[in-house]
Amino acid sequence: MPASSYESASLAMPSSMAASARPSRVEQEVMGLFEEFRGPLLRYSLSLGLSIHDAEEVIQEVFLALFRHLHLDRSRRNLRGWLFRVTHNLALKQRLANQISIQRTAEDASVAEKHADPAPGPEEQASAAQRRGHLLAVVEALPEIDQLCLGLRAEGLRYREIATVLGMSLGSVSISLTRSLSRLARADGR
Amino acid sequence: MLHKNPNLLMRHISDDDLVRSADGELSSQQAAEVDAHLEACWDCRARMEEVQGAITSFVRAYHADFDAQLPPIAGPRALLRTRLAALASESPREWWKQIFQFGFSSRPVALVCLSLLVAAIGILWLWHAPEEELQSASVFYDAEAAPNRGLTPGATRQVTVNEVCSAPREEVVADVSVSLRQRVFQEYGIADARPEDYEIDYLIAPRLGGTEDLRNLWPEPYRARVWNAHVKDALEERLHEMVCHGQVDLATAQHDIATDWIAAYKKYFHTNKPLPLSS
Repeated sequence: MPASSYESASLAMPSSMAASARPSRVEQEVMGLFEEFRGPLLRYSLSLGLSIHDAEEVIQEVFLALFRHLHLDRSRRNLRGWLFRVTHNLALKQRLANQISIQRTAEDASVAEKHADPAPGPEEQASAAQRRGHLLAVVEALPEIDQLCLGLRAEGLRYREIATVLGMSLGSVSISLTRSLSRLARADGR
Repeated sequence: MLHKNPNLLMRHISDDDLVRSADGELSSQQAAEVDAHLEACWDCRARMEEVQGAITSFVRAYHADFDAQLPPIAGPRALLRTRLAALASESPREWWKQIFQFGFSSRPVALVCLSLLVAAIGILWLWHAPEEELQSASVFYDAEAAPNRGLTPGATRQVTVNEVCSAPREEVVADVSVSLRQRVFQEYGIADARPEDYEIDYLIAPRLGGTEDLRNLWPEPYRARVWNAHVKDALEERLHEMVCHGQVDLATAQHDIATDWIAAYKKYFHTNKPLPLSS
């Protein structure tokens, strides 16, 4: 399981290194951004169909690349957009390497049941889970580019940033989101 | 201001403008016009609520779908910190880069100078290098002898020095399962791998606390002529011995072999090339 080996990975750092090497300003900056963006970037990688193991590894690579980027005094402008763009590229590369395709529809039908919100009562819970499962099935049926636009927007990226990450025009982002939200609204039965 | 855009007064707001309004992507003038229209038009307000409702539902489903899969941050944080420390120690600004940066005003001039320098060094090396060294130049082409650190950073289990040193060898050396072997080949993009071409090797050996984990395994080619699996086995043996004799702590041994096993061999055997293997 990735988590356990990540936890134990700290064992591999020699005590001398831990004691003597004070993190540089760039290292501290990278760690700060890791705290802030690991979750969003992981979710985005998962939405691209990676396993959690691969997604964690991709995120590690992204932040190592960020270190090199900052270490070379390259642009700090819109690092959030930079992080998502690099994550997108590395995740696609990883996906290609794994020769996997996004086939999560069947799994997603059960995802809502597995991860239902514990707060509501059993009936509400079942109903909410059913609705969520239905919604996820609608999302899965969207073209992949629409799913990615939705995911990036859900992570707080503005249209211009989404356009940059996905290499599409601003207008296309707008059209994609409008199309997706219309379908979701219909599916949501509002 | 509204009268300047009769479309918004006379017609309903388009879906696109509704979504962009909800997302704050309209210009201030367009936003004001949309707001004014929404105040007057129940139909469009209802449609706007549908858009907002769809966003809310999606965000909840998105987080419910993915958040539960996210492992705690502590492990990945520690791993990244370790990797950054290693990277930082590997790549301080090299002196030649600084010369490059400050000594040459234009990149083309700098590149020409660098090319000439490299060519000169190459010629000198070829002129003076003993034959033995020329033969061992294959060292530089044994690219696959070292794993891809992105794919194989190494993984360890929690283990004490006593456990490492008291376990008999046969208990810790395990054959890698067929399915895991296939995944390793897949990770490295090796199709139709023949068993006789590669050994699936542990980066951090089990007897040094390494685990049978995808990130601790890589396909080590038998064809590597210099830095091959036998040489690495000798390093593992050496490190195990040194750990058990208290000459190196376990974490250092794990770190060194995981970071660059060839460099570790040179460091612990005090040599730049593999020693003859004892039979």
